[in-house]
Amino acid sequence: MKKAIVILMLAVFGYFLAITFLDPQFEAERNRDGVKKFYLDKTVSELKTANTVTAIVVNFRGFDTLGEVTVLFLAATALGSILFKKRHHIGDRTVLLPASAIVGSGAKLIFPAITLLGVYVFVHGHLTPGGGFQGGTIIATGFLLMLIAYRDFSISHNILSVIESLAGIGFVTFGLLGFMNGGTFLQNFLGTGVLNDLLSGGVIPIIYILVGFKVAAELTGLIYTVLHEKG
Amino acid sequence: MVGSPVFLIAIPLLAAFLIPLLGMVWKELVRIVPGLVLAYLTFLSATLYIDVINSDTIVETIAGWRAPWGIDLVFSPLTGFLSTIMTFMGFIVWLYSYRFKRNVEFEAAKKYFIFLMLLVAASVGIVITGDIFNQFVFIEITGISAYALTAFYTGRNSAEAAFKYLVMGSLSASALLIAIIIVYAQLGTLNMAEIAANIDNMNVEYRIIAMIFFIIGIGVEAEIFPLNGWAPDAYTEAPGPVGGAFAGIVVKAGIYAMVRMMFTLFNISGPMQILIIIGMITLIIAETSALRQDKLKRMLAYSSIGQMGLVLVAFGMGTQAGVFAALFLMLNHAIIKPMLFLSGSYLEFNTKNKYIKEITGMGKKMPVVSAIFVLGALAISGLPPFSGFWSKLSVLTAAADENMILIITLVLIISLVEIVYYFRVINRLFFFDYDLEISVEPHKPGWNGMVALFVLAGIILFIGFYPSSVTGFLDLAARDLMDTHDYINNVLQLGQSIIQ
Repeated sequence: MKKAIVILMLAVFGYFLAITFLDPQFEAERNRDGVKKFYLDKTVSELKTANTVTAIVVNFRGFDTLGEVTVLFLAATALGSILFKKRHHIGDRTVLLPASAIVGSGAKLIFPAITLLGVYVFVHGHLTPGGGFQGGTIIATGFLLMLIAYRDFSISHNILSVIESLAGIGFVTFGLLGFMNGGTFLQNFLGTGVLNDLLSGGVIPIIYILVGFKVAAELTGLIYTVLHEKG
Repeated sequence: MVGSPVFLIAIPLLAAFLIPLLGMVWKELVRIVPGLVLAYLTFLSATLYIDVINSDTIVETIAGWRAPWGIDLVFSPLTGFLSTIMTFMGFIVWLYSYRFKRNVEFEAAKKYFIFLMLLVAASVGIVITGDIFNQFVFIEITGISAYALTAFYTGRNSAEAAFKYLVMGSLSASALLIAIIIVYAQLGTLNMAEIAANIDNMNVEYRIIAMIFFIIGIGVEAEIFPLNGWAPDAYTEAPGPVGGAFAGIVVKAGIYAMVRMMFTLFNISGPMQILIIIGMITLIIAETSALRQDKLKRMLAYSSIGQMGLVLVAFGMGTQAGVFAALFLMLNHAIIKPMLFLSGSYLEFNTKNKYIKEITGMGKKMPVVSAIFVLGALAISGLPPFSGFWSKLSVLTAAADENMILIITLVLIISLVEIVYYFRVINRLFFFDYDLEISVEPHKPGWNGMVALFVLAGIILFIGFYPSSVTGFLDLAARDLMDTHDYINNVLQLGQSIIQ
């Protein structure tokens, strides 16, 4: 009986999902333009940012990004308290299999390249596809590789936490500087430069680099915590 | 000028990132800084609220892009009222828990204070934002802080409670995201005022589906009936002050989001059967469940869910009087329920297994805490001359105006049920002898907790004797919620004067 009700409810839920997403009408004729055209115009004319997605993420809806960065920070902080089980001795790994020599020497070779790619992706976040979140994730994968390859590879939790905090403080501080200089929080108060230059877009690249550092530090910390289960 | 509405969000976030660094300098800062931040937020919110009452709604743009394009914060008589209550209750909860885990576990205490501060800040964010996606982000922040606080005592039961909450919260967040996607696909905007102005352009079938997903998405935080399975467990397993914060702050934000969605976003006027029906079912099931509980916090949790059902019923009437009554109930509940949780967790702390029967005779050992608990119990069940009486009376008069006999009957019967289960506790507290066999020797409550409890008790008595001191504010807030046209005008036009 209980199962029948559950199945019935799931069927209703699925039906609604299906009819909505078989035709979400993204391109339907509407009476209004929406925000799309405005974003595309202003990104080029005022923000001088080549990547519209970055302009939306960091400037138009930068407040949401600040919130998402906080979500990540909270998730990283909370991980130790929600996901816990019987602890190993400090320093012991959950994954106890040793890596092979191929992985070991390969990791040493690839690690700097991965880090460089990550830095490239978040420094060029306003010019090419990618940005802080993506670049940070790439750097974290580099650390994951090192942690898998070498059992004695360790990262100081304090340093990660300092980087994380400083990047977060930097984000909010730039927001507040915008408030002081332009009147609204997160306002783009620096000169925007020339479209497609590395130094263009005002505060957008600065904030995205900070996000990159923060995401890299947080994800590395997450991997480290889960692998070592120190909490 | 002490600040602008955006500081209500920016300052706590800044402090949250700072706290890990400050903790390395001096460990005590980890508990002092959140208190200072919450005190500042209360002060800022109250000052802005007085400004808003005397002049006009504040609409703040963010990143220099006006309303439909950028994100905006709306500080109106309604949102200002709620944000002031929330920040104040956040400060009280902080005061109560100031000595929590002091000199015992530094890491745990640090996390606790960060989560508590962000829980309050994000709940305020849910209320003051004027953008549905931004609201979603704040619901996420509130949710994650709440899961972490539920799992705080890393035991088997709290892990189960947190996991249950986590699964329900994440599923509902996905539903909310689906609703937002549908609205955006249809209208091409995320701004609440812009959506409200154009809601008639949306296909009817999509409007209904979006509304269903919105209700599922917000319902978990608002504790409506089929979605509140997490609540009793979470309230029971979380640390005592956190239960108070959930009841006083998080649920209020959830209810606000729900009501804003119905009244403004979908621009419904007149009685809303769906809110009344959901509210009634929630009310009946929660209050009858509360009657059967043998653990104190669990009983309080069910009582809290029931009260939220009553609030939804009152909002559902859709009249000025109904909204007024609902806001009055929210105000009273935001003060009384945390007081019950805070004093109740002192009582419960001195028992072995947290059962109601174990607090037998505690009234003689801890007379002040017990008296405050009794005051809260009398006030929440709506006995005169306490504040709860006036809010229940206004629900009854609002229902009587609309000839809703069923609601009147239900509210009166439920009040009787409430009196039964609260008097069961009061009876055990004062009219039985203390028995060391089943309880432990009581600890003395700290001065900070007592100050917090006395402040709350004072407010309840004050509102009880002078209800006219708050009715003016409530009236303005109710009018603000009812007037969708004014909201749209405020947001979309005031924005124009800000941009060059």
